[in-house]
Amino acid sequence: MKTTVVGNYPKIVSDKNAPNLRNSLNAWEQKKISSEQLEDIYQKTIQRVLKEQSQAGIDIVTDGQIRWDDLVTPLARNISGFEMGGLIRFFNNNVYYRRPVVKSKLSFKAYSTLEQFKFAGAHSSKPVKVALPGPLTFAQLALDEHYHDLEKLTLDLAEILHQEVLGLENAGCQYIQLDEPSLCYLPDQAPLATKAIEIVFNGIRAHKILFFYFGRVDNLLPKILAAPVDSLGVDVVSHKENLEAITKVSWDEKELILGCLDARNTRLEREEDILKLADKVCQRIPKQKVSLSPSCGLEFLPHETALKKLNFLSQIAGRIN
Amino acid sequence: MLLTTTVGSFPKPDYLAKARNQFARGGLSREKLKELELQAIKETIQLQEELGLDILVHGEMERGDMTTYFAENWEGFRISSPVRSYGNRYYRKPIVVDRLRRPKPTTVEYFQYAQSLTAKPVKGMLTGPYTMCDWSFNEYYPHREALTMAFAEVIHAEVVDLEKAGAKYIQIDEPAISTRPEELDLAIRAMKVVTAGVKTKTISHICYGDFKLIYPKILELPVEQLDLEFANNHFLHLEIFKTPKFTKEIAVGVVDVHSHRIESIEEVKNNIKKALQLFDPQKVYIDPDCGLKTRTWEEAKAKLKVMVEAVREVKQELKLD
Repeated sequence: MKTTVVGNYPKIVSDKNAPNLRNSLNAWEQKKISSEQLEDIYQKTIQRVLKEQSQAGIDIVTDGQIRWDDLVTPLARNISGFEMGGLIRFFNNNVYYRRPVVKSKLSFKAYSTLEQFKFAGAHSSKPVKVALPGPLTFAQLALDEHYHDLEKLTLDLAEILHQEVLGLENAGCQYIQLDEPSLCYLPDQAPLATKAIEIVFNGIRAHKILFFYFGRVDNLLPKILAAPVDSLGVDVVSHKENLEAITKVSWDEKELILGCLDARNTRLEREEDILKLADKVCQRIPKQKVSLSPSCGLEFLPHETALKKLNFLSQIAGRIN
Repeated sequence: MLLTTTVGSFPKPDYLAKARNQFARGGLSREKLKELELQAIKETIQLQEELGLDILVHGEMERGDMTTYFAENWEGFRISSPVRSYGNRYYRKPIVVDRLRRPKPTTVEYFQYAQSLTAKPVKGMLTGPYTMCDWSFNEYYPHREALTMAFAEVIHAEVVDLEKAGAKYIQIDEPAISTRPEELDLAIRAMKVVTAGVKTKTISHICYGDFKLIYPKILELPVEQLDLEFANNHFLHLEIFKTPKFTKEIAVGVVDVHSHRIESIEEVKNNIKKALQLFDPQKVYIDPDCGLKTRTWEEAKAKLKVMVEAVREVKQELKLD
């Protein structure tokens, strides 16, 4: 069974001798190191993250979103019409993001992830996936002071994301993911989200993924199955109902990424529990259509635990094959 | 009427911030650090006396973080390596690995010291069971409910000790309470355990939240006073508390702790008057939105000075006393 990650990954390690992005960013802010020196630390960190995933045996990796502060600001900074607002809690986590404020009509200004993808692709032995905020989640996380209309805002963001995705596809990216945690809380917006996702992925040949984490999907899944993507990723850790929900819909047209390891708690799962869970899913979905992942990005965890979970994930997947 | 207070933390003076770093690296003894903590507490009490605040705090000079501090002093924890909260800011998160136990009273000594320096009441300051659970990793208890209730028992013992030590006000902060409205019942049940049989006035501070999701249910939280942020949001969510009628005492946040800007007296007076239109003046306290630890000492002082003056003028104008 294949394995993948959801997106972000811890930026620093406990090893005091390893390159430390946190200290380097502080030093750079105090002008004690140059931008070139900081860039060197970024590159070394990303290479470490790629290597750790590949050594753990993860099949489809990411660059760990090492240059990102949060899910939305890296893109928002390259979109005209946004200004950066204050810090606000990121869903139900004790983690914050900077809220982009919509001040005027939004339009694509520059690529956000293209160079990051090219770098990761050139330094990875495994295919590199790029995860982006989905259009509805992007719209929900922003503060709308211009459109005052969720649909218009979401669809404009979809057009902009389409530009980004086109760039990635042309650069050879084979796996493109949209994260839509907000949709879990707004299942009635599934038709709007579907329309927006059609725009984002229009004409794209890469493997297209839609990922749901943090929230419940029992009301959402039946409504979003028609979205034009190849895979749906579901966090089955945060809510017990989600596993049941997966077994109730048809997977004829979709593959499943089973977000089965808790990426928000350090407790290491028991192998038998995960095997049981995978077994339950595979009774309904052919196992070649299922892959395993953590429940969300691994950056909520300290590095050593994140790495343990990665190793454990591929170990479990090996047991299922 | 309109007694003035603060939410809890004060900025750490430079000498203390340096000493804490030195201590963490093993370059300073526990005794020397404590000496400096007590000095900082003394300065914090003096500052509040000077400014003319009515209900004082000790400033949490011995605490790095409102959850980790307790985890360091109670049994059953490991402390994680740093995880990121936003930007380049990291914190060490408690990991519950065993049954929780409080070997001895945790906050009483510093409370007593602070109270010995002033004739005005000093608040006992604790973090609530729901927030302690939500902001810890859990490797020991079977689920969040069990962990929250275990915290409730330990915190109750601390409340009882603070009451015995003469605390006239005990504040039990629950900033995480608004992040998962589906668990509000659990938070209320846990607080019942914390405040059971306690005669001292109890307060709970809640912030960063969407109050819409928790009002009016939050009135069931068994404390006498709720302390809420308003300034940060330009008093927009005052509306929420219109119906049904707010039944508890309320501490109203009238200055923004997340901005460097010092509010004008006029602005703060307007804030206070807005609150008085809705809340019964007999039950209103005035304070900043949240802890002051992210401001500089000068900013904290300037903001509080404006606040105290604004309260004085409002009282005079409205002939309250």
